[in-house]
Amino acid sequence: MQLAFDQVSFTYDAQTAKRKGKTAAAAADWGNSPDDLWALRNVSLTVNEGDFLGIAGHTGSGKSTLVQHMNGLLSPTQGRVTFDGQDLSAKAAQKACRGAVGVVFQYPERQLFAATVYDDVAFGPRNLKLDALEVDQRVHAALEAVGLSCDQLGAVSPFELSGGQQRRVAFAGVLAMNPQMLVLDEPAAGLDPEAKSSMLNLVAQLHSQGMTIVMISHNMEDLARLCTRLVVLNQGSVVLEGTPEQVFSQEEQLHAIGLDIPAAQALANRLRARGVNLPQGLYATAEELAAACASLYQAKAEEA
Amino acid sequence: MSSPTAMIFGRYAAIDSPVHAMDARCKLTLLLVYIIATICTSTPLGLALCALFTFGFYCAARIPVRTALTCVAPLMIIVILTAIANLFFVQGGETLVILGPLGITENGLHQAIFMSVRLTVLLFGACLITLTTTALDITDAFESMLMPFARFGLPAHELAMIAGIALRFLPQFATELINTRNAQASRGASFTEGSLRERAHAFSALFVPLFASVFRHADTLAAGMDARCYHGGTGRTRLNQHAFHRRDALACAIVALQVAGIIVCTLLGV
Repeated sequence: MQLAFDQVSFTYDAQTAKRKGKTAAAAADWGNSPDDLWALRNVSLTVNEGDFLGIAGHTGSGKSTLVQHMNGLLSPTQGRVTFDGQDLSAKAAQKACRGAVGVVFQYPERQLFAATVYDDVAFGPRNLKLDALEVDQRVHAALEAVGLSCDQLGAVSPFELSGGQQRRVAFAGVLAMNPQMLVLDEPAAGLDPEAKSSMLNLVAQLHSQGMTIVMISHNMEDLARLCTRLVVLNQGSVVLEGTPEQVFSQEEQLHAIGLDIPAAQALANRLRARGVNLPQGLYATAEELAAACASLYQAKAEEA
Repeated sequence: MSSPTAMIFGRYAAIDSPVHAMDARCKLTLLLVYIIATICTSTPLGLALCALFTFGFYCAARIPVRTALTCVAPLMIIVILTAIANLFFVQGGETLVILGPLGITENGLHQAIFMSVRLTVLLFGACLITLTTTALDITDAFESMLMPFARFGLPAHELAMIAGIALRFLPQFATELINTRNAQASRGASFTEGSLRERAHAFSALFVPLFASVFRHADTLAAGMDARCYHGGTGRTRLNQHAFHRRDALACAIVALQVAGIIVCTLLGV
């Protein structure tokens, strides 16, 4: 399984799209102009099997537009998006890809609509024209995967659940499509700390079971902790790409486009500047930094 | 999000001009006078006069030609349909062309041209108001003009509040509908294919979340208004008072001149 973006540019403006000899114009020096015509500019990236790709960027940097290209909801104005070599601008390839690439949009609980949790989760599999037995199995498996019990909640109206549970049900609705790849747009936005960490643990667990994951997040700690690869967008262009360690070593460049680095990493950089001899590398969490500091002082104590 | 900002009827063009700065109540009243005057005009010279005054107001409002045209363009279908209806169904005078059972007569041609010019002028006039006045100003003006009827039991403030809220939430719901459509399409829903039953089901997946969202917004809005001690229109004061200025008087004088011109044209029959 492979999803590839090849020199993709996209504009929401129909007139610009129709213009001959169209090219994605150069970006402004700073910020995102509201009347900027190009939402994506020459984006090239590849998502391989087993990846956990993080996408970071300022509001309006093109993250959501990028996500909508991943299962053919939007087609590039220029360039192409391919899934396993199939161009997604073709209707047939789009259909195949809708089953294989599951997209969980922002606030997915707002898309719940059915009378019962069971029916809502079954919506996707039924659209795939599966038989009742297969649908039943998938609904049970999907609800179990998000930590809910189908026997307990299956017959309950999704509107009666708590916000965190609603989001899990919506998540299960996408998982029931049995996707090979999951695209998550801010999966933890608007959740309380506990629901948030259990949501992210769920995502990490799915990845460890072999699911390919693309996650958009504003939270640099989460990205640093979970991702294997990171892409940073600014004004629709990819400005940084690499492992979290590579990307978060570019503190100044990230600051210039209005992004932060994980707090632990920032502290580590400052300690190093003051002469503390911390090893190079990524400190995604406070625990990692604390452990590094502890071993440093332990080594010092042994020396003395 | 994915809603392109298209130029549509009712769009506001933020420009600093005397017409934008006018009292919205005055603009609405003058629009009413203008519409009546234009409809009553029966002579070509009178119509030309209307067009000239409209052009003058557009110049004063500093609206770019392109903006004005894109605002009126979607409505031209009304003009075209009216023209066709007049062309074939108004009979009288010399017959010019015969197409099967229908014939175009001199009167029909004359009437078709006259009506389409009149309608176009009217549409430009109406668009000028929305181009130069924000939706909020229009509802405010609407409320203050309905106020005299409040003593006879008309809920003027409530009507204006409802209109204002409805206008405010239209773009919001449009965006949410697009987001929901994307989410359900990602789950394999198709709104254009399949049996009637399947499509009805797909549409319920669109509209149930929309209605749920309407109620959610209504709840939040009600709580927000309550928290700000909203208690209806009685005793409410405004930050931005409507005020009648010299430029409003000037605009009234200009429209009066136009009406006088039309009356003269009609009396002279040219």
